[in-house]
Amino acid sequence: MSIATPINLVLLSLFVVTEPPPVVFRVFTPTTLLEFNGQDDKPVYLAVRGRVFDVTPGRNFYGPGGPYENFAGRDASRGLAHQSFDLEMLTEDLKGPLDDLKDLDADQLENLQGWEERFLEKYLVVGKLVAEGDAEAPKS
Amino acid sequence: MDANKSLLESLDAVVADAFADWNIYSTLIAGGIVTFLVWSFVTSKDPDIHPFLLARQSTAFPVRRSGESAPYRSLETPHGFPLRSGLNVKDPGAPKWTTGRKGDLRDVWRAAVRGALDDEGKLTGKQGKIYTVLGRKAIEHSLDQVTQEINVIGRFLQEARTKTMAVCLTDSMELLAAIFAGAFYGFKVVLIPHNLKAQDLSNLLQRAQADTLIAEAGALDLSLVAKNNRQLSQVVWVAKVGSRHMDWNEVPEDVKGSLDVTVWHDLVDAKRDLAGLEVPSWDSSSPSPSVTTVWPSASGVGEFIEFQPENLVAAIAGLLFSLPRTQRFNSNDLVLSIDSMSRSYPLCQIMAAIFAGASVALNSVAGEGVDFALATVGVSPTVIIASSRTMSQYHDKFMEPHSGIISSIARWLQVRNLEAGVMPSHGLLSQLANIGPTAELSLDKLRLLCISHRADADPQDRLTCGQLTDLRIFTGARVVYALTGPGVAGAISQTNIFDYRRFLGPNHFGAPLSSVEVLLTDIPSDEKFEGKITVSGPAVISGTVTLPARGHIRDDHTLELVA
Repeated sequence: MSIATPINLVLLSLFVVTEPPPVVFRVFTPTTLLEFNGQDDKPVYLAVRGRVFDVTPGRNFYGPGGPYENFAGRDASRGLAHQSFDLEMLTEDLKGPLDDLKDLDADQLENLQGWEERFLEKYLVVGKLVAEGDAEAPKS
Repeated sequence: MDANKSLLESLDAVVADAFADWNIYSTLIAGGIVTFLVWSFVTSKDPDIHPFLLARQSTAFPVRRSGESAPYRSLETPHGFPLRSGLNVKDPGAPKWTTGRKGDLRDVWRAAVRGALDDEGKLTGKQGKIYTVLGRKAIEHSLDQVTQEINVIGRFLQEARTKTMAVCLTDSMELLAAIFAGAFYGFKVVLIPHNLKAQDLSNLLQRAQADTLIAEAGALDLSLVAKNNRQLSQVVWVAKVGSRHMDWNEVPEDVKGSLDVTVWHDLVDAKRDLAGLEVPSWDSSSPSPSVTTVWPSASGVGEFIEFQPENLVAAIAGLLFSLPRTQRFNSNDLVLSIDSMSRSYPLCQIMAAIFAGASVALNSVAGEGVDFALATVGVSPTVIIASSRTMSQYHDKFMEPHSGIISSIARWLQVRNLEAGVMPSHGLLSQLANIGPTAELSLDKLRLLCISHRADADPQDRLTCGQLTDLRIFTGARVVYALTGPGVAGAISQTNIFDYRRFLGPNHFGAPLSSVEVLLTDIPSDEKFEGKITVSGPAVISGTVTLPARGHIRDDHTLELVA
């Protein structure tokens, strides 16, 4: 008989009330955002118009194997505006400037707005996306 | 098998032997034990609040910025919901389902004159009263009478084209009337502490650019003040009852012509019939002017803090709703302030009490450091508002040395109750208090002590858990203990009224009020959440303010000051 059986640990864990420590707000560049794509149990982040959302609670959609998996760890603004999950919606050049979305029409902008509001309601903003070499970008 | 049996047999023999010795004493002892068990079962009470609610008193946002802690909020207004920003005033005739207005000080007075509401929102016709306490004497004023004085003074100053009115009075009905007159008749009110030197007062008037001064008759040298304040054009003297026979209308020679001097009670007597008892009506979209208080500083007389009406109503609502429903100010309360109304915590608490329809007593000696015993003799309040300095001085000088053996035993018993989360009942206590250190005080009806501590005050004045426990036991009242800071109306945070837990050292300051959000900035490392207290929300002037004081968020998510 051992006291350290799984069931005992579960029972004892009821006495330990801990909260995960708060996530630190970060400034991402497209390169540093890339690793948060949900592979290897990492959190799933995606960026919409410069805001980085932690969409880990929606891993089934945004994580690996989900319908939106292309957006994981990427700037999803254009894709959401076009309602398209295709790879060509993503900015290919990670070192280049961010997508300025200047060519979107009114409908697409409204679409994007809708997604953004939905994300703000459901998910946490954990960071900010800036282009490589931006004044705010962390020095590596 | 055999060994087991013999073990059981020998056990049986031991028990049998033991019971063979049963005698009358055994019966008595057993009877005593049974009685004790039954008694403690019958008299045991549930704690006043579920312990889980004290174990985690505020919510942290799950994201923080580097170098800062996560923002903390009251459990009433979780993240994602707006902070409490107003009194939710519903105008008569407005559809039932609409959200109310934020309101301003005018709504506070109208709510008081309208009288208290019952649970269903119907008028009970019960009105509070205002008392001015002068030593052992309390002068009663009906709300109609105060409305009349608000109207007389308000109209008079409106005709005199007052823009900024400085009020330098001891806490009294006149001070309250002057604040409301400013709100109703559209001039800024600057509350100046009353015990300043003439030179300091003159400097403050200069900085505030006040064109009207309301002050106590005979309390200051008018020619000195007028000489440095060319913008000053009106002075209203408030004469004490004992000195009303004197002629206060005299103007010093050197300022004759530029300065008009009037006397409050003469003015009220002359215009009473014209003013009427009606609360002036107003357009609810019209702005109401600001109220400025002075925050004392270590060097000099202090800095002006100008509170917009939005800040004040957010703070009033925050303080009002920080108490659970059963403990809130109501029409049966008599709220006594022994802390000066020129400070924002007492001011907002008094306004909260008036809004809730409670009666209010203002003490002429009120201030940050007053004699608690002397200041509470005139009336028998249910709620007292005091400063940490007043209470810690009272505890050190009177409560601690004057407790004898019997009150120490009583204290020991009551501490057990408090530890179990139950407030000791008033009945047993008031009998024991006759021998205890608070015997001479008129605190029979007291149910709540509201104590505020300035974030930059002397650390000596911070109350310890032991002191708060003593105050609970010997006054028989629950205690809330609030932290105040410059730029934050009302308070930053306040302890839970049911939090009787005891720790070593100074007490914490509870969770943020529902009108603010608190975070710590400039934290030294990511392991230790300790930094400058930064407060934001509708109760804060200019939205956000960072205090020089350093704070720490404890494991139970309450705020405490560091060092």
